[in-house]
Amino acid sequence: MRFSLRTSSLLLLLLVPLVLVSCDSGGGVDPEPEPPEEPGFDRMAMLANMGNNIVLPAYVNLQASIAALEEATDAFVASPNMGTLGSAQDALKAARMAWQDANLFQFGPAESVTLRAALNTYPVDDDRVEDNVSSGNYALGSISDGAAGGLPTLGYLLHSASMADVVALYSTDADAEGRRAYLQDNVDFIKGNVDTVVQQWQASGGNYIGTFLDEDRAGTDVGSALGMVINALSLHYERFLRDGKIGIPAGVRSAGIPRPNTTEALYGGYSAELARANVEAVERLFLGVGLDGTDGIGLDEQLEALEATDLTNDIKTSLTNIKAATGTVSDPLSADIEADRERAVSVFTTMQQFVVLFKTDMTSVLGVSITYQDVDGD
Amino acid sequence: MATDSARLTRLRTALTASTSIAPLVVFRVMFGALMAASIIRFALNGWIAQQYIEPTFHFTYYGFGWVQPLGAVGMYALFAVMGVATLGVMLGLFYRTSAAVFFLTFTYVELIDVTNYLNHYYFVSIVGFLMIWVPAHRQFSLDVLRNPALRVAEVPRWTIDIFKLQLAMVYVFAGLAKLNPDWLFEAMPLRLWLPAKTHIPIIGPLLAEPITAYLFSWAGALYDLFIVFFLLYARTRVLAYAAVVIFHVATAVLFPIGMFPYIMIGSTLIYFSPAFHERVLNAFRRLRPSSVSAATSGGTWRPSLWAGRLLAGLMVAHFALQLFLPVRFSLYPDSLFWTEQGYRFSWRVMLMEKAGYAVFHVHDPDTGRSWEASNYEHLTPYQEKQMATQPDLILQFAHHLEDYYQAQGVADPVITAESYVTLNGRRSQPYLDGTVDLTEVEPGFAPKTWILPFNDEPGRRLVGAP
Repeated sequence: MRFSLRTSSLLLLLLVPLVLVSCDSGGGVDPEPEPPEEPGFDRMAMLANMGNNIVLPAYVNLQASIAALEEATDAFVASPNMGTLGSAQDALKAARMAWQDANLFQFGPAESVTLRAALNTYPVDDDRVEDNVSSGNYALGSISDGAAGGLPTLGYLLHSASMADVVALYSTDADAEGRRAYLQDNVDFIKGNVDTVVQQWQASGGNYIGTFLDEDRAGTDVGSALGMVINALSLHYERFLRDGKIGIPAGVRSAGIPRPNTTEALYGGYSAELARANVEAVERLFLGVGLDGTDGIGLDEQLEALEATDLTNDIKTSLTNIKAATGTVSDPLSADIEADRERAVSVFTTMQQFVVLFKTDMTSVLGVSITYQDVDGD
Repeated sequence: MATDSARLTRLRTALTASTSIAPLVVFRVMFGALMAASIIRFALNGWIAQQYIEPTFHFTYYGFGWVQPLGAVGMYALFAVMGVATLGVMLGLFYRTSAAVFFLTFTYVELIDVTNYLNHYYFVSIVGFLMIWVPAHRQFSLDVLRNPALRVAEVPRWTIDIFKLQLAMVYVFAGLAKLNPDWLFEAMPLRLWLPAKTHIPIIGPLLAEPITAYLFSWAGALYDLFIVFFLLYARTRVLAYAAVVIFHVATAVLFPIGMFPYIMIGSTLIYFSPAFHERVLNAFRRLRPSSVSAATSGGTWRPSLWAGRLLAGLMVAHFALQLFLPVRFSLYPDSLFWTEQGYRFSWRVMLMEKAGYAVFHVHDPDTGRSWEASNYEHLTPYQEKQMATQPDLILQFAHHLEDYYQAQGVADPVITAESYVTLNGRRSQPYLDGTVDLTEVEPGFAPKTWILPFNDEPGRRLVGAP
């Protein structure tokens, strides 16, 4: 086939940019005053920091706190008294605080065992719990016992009455034996789920950390490590932090009628503290701060590498505002909401700002799509 | 007058002149096969359930509210029928019925939910529609095997040219749409999308460089604008087709666009000469020696006088609509990318990185209470994401919420939307007038005055700010 000079040069014009792209080794004229660093490299380093210094330690810490909880509840069951009850209550609170650092990562192993539903379904169905205690007929983890298991249920079991009365429920009450068994079964149930997830994540076990840091997952598409982290965080923040911990009890989702009984630690009375801990976990994930407090590469550095410094600052400011806002409500949160719903509503509103910055601006700049599902685009 | 009518006559003569049926036949087999593959892929990905069974609410097209999903059994059956129809098209078995069934089932599925809209699905619907009206089964088909009298060697040129014209409109309008400042001067949105692929081998590291995004943007615009002309011109055709392959394979590697690149690579073959397509068919025939027959046997297919007139009218109407739809946006105020009034059905592909967040405030005047709807109780995350940047969908959802709360006993809820949208790397900004009670707004094609004006100050850029 022959080409005239004219047509060939026209075609060349068309194809040159495509060819140039494959030959260009960064030596072209750069219209930017300062080219961004290689985000590919940054992303891998950031993911390694997230996986090794944030996610894994959070799970390991949770596992340790559950082990301590088991010890404390065993001691309480063996000898129910005010002292052992107090220790069990403290161990429960420590475990629930540890959960706030680990609950952001509902993907991979945590998603396959539905860790959040297993550990932290609330409000507790206390009628069901009482039925289970007296009948001894239950299957923790089943749909019917969904709201009768997990950490909030332990909260009910250990805080449902004054300390002396709780001790009586486990020692002199007619159902004391059933209640002791239910308490221990519940701890076992929690422990089983947490152990599975931790084992799955560890390099020595299921090595999900290896999957998480696989080169093939270093992009930002659906199924990429960053895509999973951001989608999980986004979903958790909206539904389980903003709504679950603050909005729903404040009545934002129930036609403006407050639902103080839907707070996370209704019986323990430290719901606001849990919410604050969870906000701090979100902030640490964004900043890349490890569980030990070391500041590593986080989403902030990633955004800065993409020249979106203003956005980074806005997100940091927003997180600071949220922390301040969660300080305006006090524990027990249920009582605070009953006294004045507006305080919690205002916390909710402040929390909303972050969703816009995080879910729209940040994901847009990072090229992460919020879908939780694989779809074609065009 | 005389020249006009002479021109018309010449055009008519040219369009009805006989030409080999081979390009049409190859196109039929290619299209049927690719559609069959697309449907299998769609089903295997679990998308039938994800998109048409699991969601409890669907965003419908204006005037097509009656198109509803058919339940789990119904949807799987519908896709099965569609799959069988694609095979009918490919094999040329009960061809016209198959083509019509494919067009109707495919289009029905696409009409179920606006959030699933993709330009390439729209393209498939159009091609499916055009396929109904052409005699693509009158050679190399099971219909001819059943009834040899159907066989023809030649068809009027228009039966092939309509596909060339349709493809040309897709490319040229897609190219024209790229001639906007964001695409050309900011390399947006490629500049946001390409760095997402820095981990792929060889070219990965280059994708982080803004210069790469500029090159891709300009090359893409030039490609879309001019490729058709190089394909039409015999002397540049082979090189142009190589460009088609390179371009679409590159997009397949870089972006999640499913079957579209392969559909375009297959479809653009139609620009090749009849001789080329004869050779393709002969190559296939050699695979099955028993069916060998001279490609030239058989006569010429001609529609009857009235059928011809009806077809001519149909095609003129179709292409007039195809010309109008992509330019209808100019009837609306403000930035098209911002308001999306007249955005769909216009071959605007890959032009925007747009994301948004919409909160629906509900107020019950009877009790004085206010609260927020939980979007996630009604929508899938994908639906919610798609809705948040498209005002007509936001309005539709507000009306859905009105029905929902009325059913719960709130007689006359006031529903307003607080929403933020980011477009092509600009900082998010308020999208809709948060004081407007959307339950009082009627859906339709009138300009949506409750969309806030687009603020395009240079300082709003999050990435690549000057």
